[in-house]
Amino acid sequence: MSLRQIAELDLGLILEDSVTGFGYSIVLTDPSGKVRPFTGFSDDISQIIDPDTGEAVSGRLASVAIRTSSLYAAGLSLPVGVSDAGSKPWIVEFDDINGTACKFKVSQSNPDRALGLITLLLELYK
Amino acid sequence: MISTLIDKQDSFEIVRDQIGAILTTEIASQMSLATAAGKDPQDYKLRVYTERSNPWENFQDNPDDRSPLVNVWYDNSNFSPTKSNISERQASESIYNVDCYGYGLSRDDGASGHIPGDRDAAFEVQKALRLVRNILMSAEYTYLGLRGLVWQRWPQSVTVFQPQLDARQMQQIVGARLSLRVAFNEFSPQVEPVEIELISIDVIRKEDGQVVVEADYDYTAP
Repeated sequence: MSLRQIAELDLGLILEDSVTGFGYSIVLTDPSGKVRPFTGFSDDISQIIDPDTGEAVSGRLASVAIRTSSLYAAGLSLPVGVSDAGSKPWIVEFDDINGTACKFKVSQSNPDRALGLITLLLELYK
Repeated sequence: MISTLIDKQDSFEIVRDQIGAILTTEIASQMSLATAAGKDPQDYKLRVYTERSNPWENFQDNPDDRSPLVNVWYDNSNFSPTKSNISERQASESIYNVDCYGYGLSRDDGASGHIPGDRDAAFEVQKALRLVRNILMSAEYTYLGLRGLVWQRWPQSVTVFQPQLDARQMQQIVGARLSLRVAFNEFSPQVEPVEIELISIDVIRKEDGQVVVEADYDYTAP
């Protein structure tokens, strides 16, 4: 087994360990409506938005990181941001640490195809 | 020394407050008119502020009220010496920025698609610009309701700012600015006159047309 394949296995151990690691429950829905549960990393932190007026708007930055091999194994493709208003977007749902449910749309995907990791940047979805 | 307390608002402050007051009252009126016309009054709602600089926190946690924010702030003044006098009056052309913030939320359209939040934010801020410009440039406010003080208001420019590329926050926010140029006079304290000598004069036109001036002096012979 090559070092790269070992790194991908290690990625699985790091990302998907929800018992002793930082792995967290994430639910992904693709545009066709397929719903699949995953374990990965999720972030939801505050971040200032600069609208260029000289005055900031308080915002939040949310993202999830998922192992791509787990996506393929669940029968999904790599999520992408959907711009077409006539289509459903990829939906990501996870709870914050206090159990409050949050629902997001994938606005941008950053896949690392070398290591097998995809990071999804999210925006609020209702 | 200036002998009187400078206990007044300058014209630029009066105009700033007036712009905020006009927008607030007219938005309330537009919401009433929308209700009367069977339209959704929330589509006409703007939240108007003046001179605010703390970060806006209204859009942080997926709020129910997604109406745009408007912040009126005084930017600068240029004074024209040729239209002024050196003692009392300074003709001013001042810029007021009317900043608008639109919030967009991606959401299900109830059919086979969705409403994208980035487009929603742009449309919201452009709606706010539309309302603000129409109100301030309406014939009812040719002089911003301050006739005698203001003699011109003009939308110098409208700028819609692009969202930042280096960060993708979960809130979709677009900012825009209407720069409103307003011309008015500023006034400054004047010298209070001091009575030097009391003079009483009678001017009489006689029957033959002769004008006679008679002056009485309170005079004490040395």
